[in-house]
Amino acid sequence: MMKGFFAKIAIALIAVFCFQINASAAEKYVVASDCTWPPFELLDAKKQPTGYSIDFLRAVAKEAGFTVDNRNVAWDGIFGGVATGKYDIVASSTTITPERQKQFDFSDPYFEIVQAVILPTGKTIKSLAELKGLRVGGQIATTGIFVVRDANVGAQLKEYDDVGLAIQDLIGGRLDAVVCDDPVAKYYANKKKDSMGKIHIALQTQDKEYFGFTVKKGRRDLVEKLNKSIKLVREKGIEAALIKKWMGE
Amino acid sequence: MAETEEKQSAGNIVMVTEGGAIPNPHEFHLINAWSISLTLALTSLFALCIIWPEPYLRILFYLPDGIVVTFQITLLSICFAVPIGFITGIGRISQNRCIKLIASTYVEIIRGIPLLVQLFYIYYALSRFFQVSGIASAVTAISICYGAYMGEVFRAGIAAIPRGQTEASRSLGFNRFQTMAYVILPQAMRTILPPVGNECIAMLKDTALVSIMAVPDIMQRARSFVGTTYLYFETYTVIALVYLVITLLLSKAVSIMEAKLNYYDRKSR
Repeated sequence: MMKGFFAKIAIALIAVFCFQINASAAEKYVVASDCTWPPFELLDAKKQPTGYSIDFLRAVAKEAGFTVDNRNVAWDGIFGGVATGKYDIVASSTTITPERQKQFDFSDPYFEIVQAVILPTGKTIKSLAELKGLRVGGQIATTGIFVVRDANVGAQLKEYDDVGLAIQDLIGGRLDAVVCDDPVAKYYANKKKDSMGKIHIALQTQDKEYFGFTVKKGRRDLVEKLNKSIKLVREKGIEAALIKKWMGE
Repeated sequence: MAETEEKQSAGNIVMVTEGGAIPNPHEFHLINAWSISLTLALTSLFALCIIWPEPYLRILFYLPDGIVVTFQITLLSICFAVPIGFITGIGRISQNRCIKLIASTYVEIIRGIPLLVQLFYIYYALSRFFQVSGIASAVTAISICYGAYMGEVFRAGIAAIPRGQTEASRSLGFNRFQTMAYVILPQAMRTILPPVGNECIAMLKDTALVSIMAVPDIMQRARSFVGTTYLYFETYTVIALVYLVITLLLSKAVSIMEAKLNYYDRKSR
């Protein structure tokens, strides 16, 4: 009697296990995004990740036939998580840089940006060199920070956990400038209620940066799958629709 | 036998704080928990830097300005927190009901709010009314928070002095202020200073929180190093060891101070 009981449990467990294998064969990828980077990654009213990168990846997933499980993850741990395999894909406005390419693999670019310097309304600069001695803020470990650091103009860099906090400090006067991706800058300067009208984009850099979906080094299979579908998303006009949806005019 | 047991249990005070474990000042063995920890921390730090100078040495050289900021915040906070704690402690045992209430309410409120929330509150929430720099808000928040903790230490230390001391002093003609200043406090200091030192070490560890306010302390230097190199394991290993070495050295300093203060206790043992 007991034996039969255990056998039943064993069968049930095996069945569940097989089902799980089947489920993973249907391919569900965990996608990490730092939802503090509007309009690319943000949280909607139900606290679910949304935004351009997330919609784009969902469209890609639909083309490629896998499902995604979106997670909101703090930015400065996001690369560590993908390196250790906690998530499969990072869809978080990650610029493809040579340093990052040494440690991770990237999909083909899905968006092109430049860096924008935001100043309080009324103030202007003509070049990065004019940031000398000023308090410049940005989100920790983002390319905006790298650009100012590499320009080596003698700006006093302050690295925030979240670009929104830096913008708040810019409005409050504890910062003289904020550097971030130009669509993000436009979002805060033109769309966001609290900051609209108080700040403006004073300067945009010449060097273009390209966003790619980040995966663990060596996941060529996943990269190929992503690349193929990114092309399809583009050809089908979904990309244009998404740009219109998130960036507006 | 029973008498000595009673004596021992009467003097026992269970104190569990988040500061470093203060080494027993009367422990004279060469091998103890403190020396093992310090040797392990230092040797692993040196070994890592010698065997793999890239990236460990690079990480270590990236930190000094962060260490300066961490110490700066800690020292400034100590300068404010200790007087705040002292005043609070005195206030808590005050005969004046009003002062006592104010001090107790302050302790209740502050002890119930996480330090991280206090930091956010002072830096971001209050920025609507006034703007202070990151370091100033860090020092303010930490001082206010630890002032409340230390208030309890001061109160307990003063309350531990037998009532007979006060009575004797008053009957000799000292007024209440003189009693406190010349009789009670000098005795209380011996019991108060070690736990205060302990709180200061806890404070140093808690400064790691200020990196959320864009203050470039050790923790933030580490995070920004990780942000460019993606060497999570290596960087945080070095950071952990650096914090460990600093707190171990400080807890030894507190322990030496404790031994000096309890000089006569040791003699009588």
